[in-house]
Amino acid sequence: MTKILVADDSETILLLMRTRLELAGYEVEAAVDGQEVVERIDPNSDDGPDLLLLDAMMPRKSGIDALRELRAAGVETPALIVSAHQTPDDADAPADLEISGYLTKPIDFDALLGAIAELTEKNAA
Amino acid sequence: MTVIGVGRLIVQRQDYENSIERSYQREMGARVQLAEGTNPDAARATINREEANRAHLRDSISGDTRDTVILVACGLIAGLLGALLLFVGLITAMRRPLEALVGAAGRLAGGDRSARVEVGGVSEVATLGQAFNEMAAELELEASERDQLDRMKDEFVLTASHELRSPLTSVQGFAELLMMERDSLTPRQVETVEIILDNCRHLVRLLNDLLDLARSDAGRLSIRPQPTRPAPLVEDVVRTMRAQTESSDQTLTLRIDPDLPLVNVEADRIRQILVNLVTNAHEYSPERASIQVSARVADNGVEISVTDNGPGIPPAQLEHIFERFVRGDAGLTQRVGGTGLGLAISKSLVELHGGTITADSVVGRGSHFTVTLPTADPEAVETAPVGTPVIGEGGRR
Repeated sequence: MTKILVADDSETILLLMRTRLELAGYEVEAAVDGQEVVERIDPNSDDGPDLLLLDAMMPRKSGIDALRELRAAGVETPALIVSAHQTPDDADAPADLEISGYLTKPIDFDALLGAIAELTEKNAA
Repeated sequence: MTVIGVGRLIVQRQDYENSIERSYQREMGARVQLAEGTNPDAARATINREEANRAHLRDSISGDTRDTVILVACGLIAGLLGALLLFVGLITAMRRPLEALVGAAGRLAGGDRSARVEVGGVSEVATLGQAFNEMAAELELEASERDQLDRMKDEFVLTASHELRSPLTSVQGFAELLMMERDSLTPRQVETVEIILDNCRHLVRLLNDLLDLARSDAGRLSIRPQPTRPAPLVEDVVRTMRAQTESSDQTLTLRIDPDLPLVNVEADRIRQILVNLVTNAHEYSPERASIQVSARVADNGVEISVTDNGPGIPPAQLEHIFERFVRGDAGLTQRVGGTGLGLAISKSLVELHGGTITADSVVGRGSHFTVTLPTADPEAVETAPVGTPVIGEGGRR
């Protein structure tokens, strides 16, 4: 089953994401900040998540900073960044992090599920 | 001087009159002597002497009177001259600082809060100058405080809109979850959830609009113009809006001139503006109204206009139509769901593109909004925007 690691500092949003993604048939792991994301992913393991869905702004470590560390460690898992901001400009994300897409809150789940399907199928193929 | 002169005249005149009186008495005595014939020669001599004496006295009186009049006149003239000189001196002393004050007041009114005057001149003028400087200093302080407040306000709106998005995401997301199970809900529950979702969408719109305006105020509203074909853009807007206008039996027609040049715009932003204009036309017009969207070449670019035959906008409202939170009277229609910010944002966005937006309307006949967009460099090639995709509309209309 396709595994998605979701990180958000709001438990309500984690619950929402988990419910919607599980309903769509994905396996969901949850993390409350970027630090936990980094700790959960072993760069040398093949058993990691197939997709990262990271909130751009979280306490302790942001989704952007976590992704930066993961990319530096050689993790190539596709990543979607969720931001409360409206445009990528405001999320202040550098271009070299191989971010597959941005989502703004409130989340358009139809669009999100479409993007996830596309990314995970492409990766699986 | 004059007063003393007049006083002296009065005293002297008394003396003269006494002297004349005494002269008469002496003459009378001499005349009595003459009549008695006691000493006629001496008496005659006395009479002549006293007559001459009195003539002399009378001359003296009129001479003194004349002198005094001259004296008084001289005094008056001298006084007037002195006053005039004093006045001229005063005016000269006041003119320079007053002119400086007028100049500084003009600069201050023109927005130069650092305008000050050199304090000097006549004491009243100096006081005025000092008061002016104190007032200007206070204004300057207020202006800098206001700038700071403006920045704080912009920051606040940005942060607030950011912070509100997370709870809104939950409310909307869970309401959508409920709707996924609408088959197990009662009609009343479905209706309730629909109301929640409607209001979520309205809140998102409000947040997006407020954010756009705060960015615009902070000079942080940015656009990425690309050479764009206007026709597909306009067609896309009309396609998007068709369902809504048809639900009110309104006719939505499109007229695009052939061979429109490329415009230099950010397509998403122009779509946002046009959707806003057509939405307004739709929401403020009654059922079976007609709305026309047209695009044509104009002197200074491409002109896209949205015309409706709705109720129109009264002149007093039309004047403020592009200000924020100014909304038309919904009148008979109950569909109006705007935020009162759409036109203010549209204006900011169009101007950011270097274009113009205008509105005219005749009450009872309809309204007509025109957006003029700058054409792209004829050499430019239409390019697709590159970069990381933004997934979903993020609540954007």
